[in-house]
Amino acid sequence: MHNLLFDFPHRQSAHCESGVAANLLTQRGIKISEAMAFGIGGGLFFGYLPFIRINGLPLVTYRSPAGHILRQIASINEVCMYEKKFRNPDEAMAALDQALAASLPVGLQTGVFWLPYFPKALRFHFNAHNLVVYGKQGEEYLISDPVFPAPVRCPAEDLARARFASGALAPKGKMYYLTRTPPELDYGPLIARGIRSVCRMMLDSYFPLIGVRGIRFLAKRMRHWPQRLGRERAELHLGHVVRMQEEIGTGGGGFRFMYAAFLQEGAAIMQDQELREYAALLTAAGDAWREFAAMAVRICKGRVRPDDSYPAMVECLNQCAALEGKAFAGLKQWAKQQP
Amino acid sequence: MAVEKEVGKDGAEERVVLPRHQEPATPASAEMTAGLKIVSYALNNHGEYELTPDFVWQPVSVVNQQAWQEIEKKIDCSRQRVAAGRVSCLHYYMTAHQMDVTLVAQYTGQPRWKVLLHLAPFVYARLSSRSLAKYARLYKISVDELRHGRLLPPVYNLETEQSRA
Repeated sequence: MHNLLFDFPHRQSAHCESGVAANLLTQRGIKISEAMAFGIGGGLFFGYLPFIRINGLPLVTYRSPAGHILRQIASINEVCMYEKKFRNPDEAMAALDQALAASLPVGLQTGVFWLPYFPKALRFHFNAHNLVVYGKQGEEYLISDPVFPAPVRCPAEDLARARFASGALAPKGKMYYLTRTPPELDYGPLIARGIRSVCRMMLDSYFPLIGVRGIRFLAKRMRHWPQRLGRERAELHLGHVVRMQEEIGTGGGGFRFMYAAFLQEGAAIMQDQELREYAALLTAAGDAWREFAAMAVRICKGRVRPDDSYPAMVECLNQCAALEGKAFAGLKQWAKQQP
Repeated sequence: MAVEKEVGKDGAEERVVLPRHQEPATPASAEMTAGLKIVSYALNNHGEYELTPDFVWQPVSVVNQQAWQEIEKKIDCSRQRVAAGRVSCLHYYMTAHQMDVTLVAQYTGQPRWKVLLHLAPFVYARLSSRSLAKYARLYKISVDELRHGRLLPPVYNLETEQSRA
C-alpha cells in the first residue's frame, strides 16, 4: 500500500481538539461546527496551577484537560470511538497503516516540536496537539491538521517521533477513530449536558485554583509579581499567561469567543433567546481578557501608558472573573430547567 | 533618525490594539508564523460569530518573540560555556532544543544521572560511539559531528530553511 488516500473534509478551525472532533464527525455525515463540538465537549475551563511548571513558568490553562472534548463526544449515545495507546513506535505506525487501509481517517495525539510543517515560531514542547491522518503516499502521510488552512504532508519518520514525544502529557502514540455514529445528533440534551459540565468546573470546584475562583487567585498572585519575582521575571510570567491565552489554538480571548459562538449556535438550534444573552456576557468576558492581554503586552514591551500597571491588570482580571461568574451562574440556572 | 522613526511607527501600531480582531494584520506577525493564516472567532455586523481568516493577533507575536528571546539568551549562554570548556557540546544541543535533563533522559532512554554525567567535558570525551549514537539520533546529526563538538543549529531551524528552499 503505497498510494492510499480518500476524501476527507478538511476544515480549518481555531482549536485543534474540537476541530478534529468536528471534522471526524462531519466525515461520517454529521454536520457539526467546531464551536458546537467545543461546547458539547465542555471545552471551556480555567486553571492556574503554579506548582506545575512549564519551562519554569506556572501552568495557566483556559481549556479543559487534553482529551476531554473527545471523551465527551465519544460518550454520546450511539457514538463509538476506538482509542488505543502504544508502547512501541513500529507497532503504532503499523496500526495506523492498517486503519488507513480500512479507509478510516485516524485522529492522533502528537507533540508539536517534531512536526516539520509547523512554523519555527511555534515549535515548543507541547504534546497535546491533535490531527487527522487521512492517507499515505509513499513514505509521506497526508494530514488534515485543523490549525492549518490546507491539508499538509509529513514524512513517516517525523510523524512517528511526534507521536512518541516525551515530556508532560506524552501522547504515547495515542490514536482514535469513530467506529459508529448515529445518523443525526439530538442537540438539545447534548448542549445542556455540555453547559452543565462547564458550569460545574467553573463554579462548583472545591479546589480554589480552578474556575472563577482560579481567575481571582491568579489576580491576587499577580499583584505581588513585581515584588516577588523582580521586573524581568514578572514580565516573563505575564508573557506566558498571555501566550497561553491568545496563541494559536485558542480562537482568541482564551477560548471565550469560541464558547460564545457555541452559545449563539445553541440559541439558534434550541430557539432560546436566553442563551444569546449569555453569549453576549461571554463576549464581554473575552473582551476583558483581551484588554488584559493588550495591557500586559504593553508592560512587557516597556511601552507603558499612564494607566497601565499591575494593579490595573488585577482589576481587569477581577472583572473577567465577575463577568464569567455572572454568565455561568445564569447558565447553571438555565441548564437546571432543561430536561 | 531611523530608531526614533521605528518607535513612532510601532507606537501607531499599538494604538489599534483593541479588544477583538479589527486590527490590520501586520507583516511582523506574518513573519513570526511563516505566513501561516489562522482562523479566529469574530463578531460580524449582525452580532453573529463567524470564523474569519486572520493573521496572528499582533500582541501574541510580541509575547511569542519574548519567549524566543529568552530561549536564544539561554542558547548563547550555553554556547559560551561550551567554548570555555565548562560543559560538553551536548549541553548546547539540549538547550537549543529547549530540553532539560529529564526530557533528554526520557528521549534517549537513560537515567538522568547518566545524561548529567555526559554533560561534563571530561566524561564526554571518553564516550563510546554507541552512547553518542543515542544523542545523534535524537538531534538528527551524525556521530562524527558530535565527536568533533560542532555546534549545528537545532532541528527546527534546519527544517524551516529546507521548507523555504
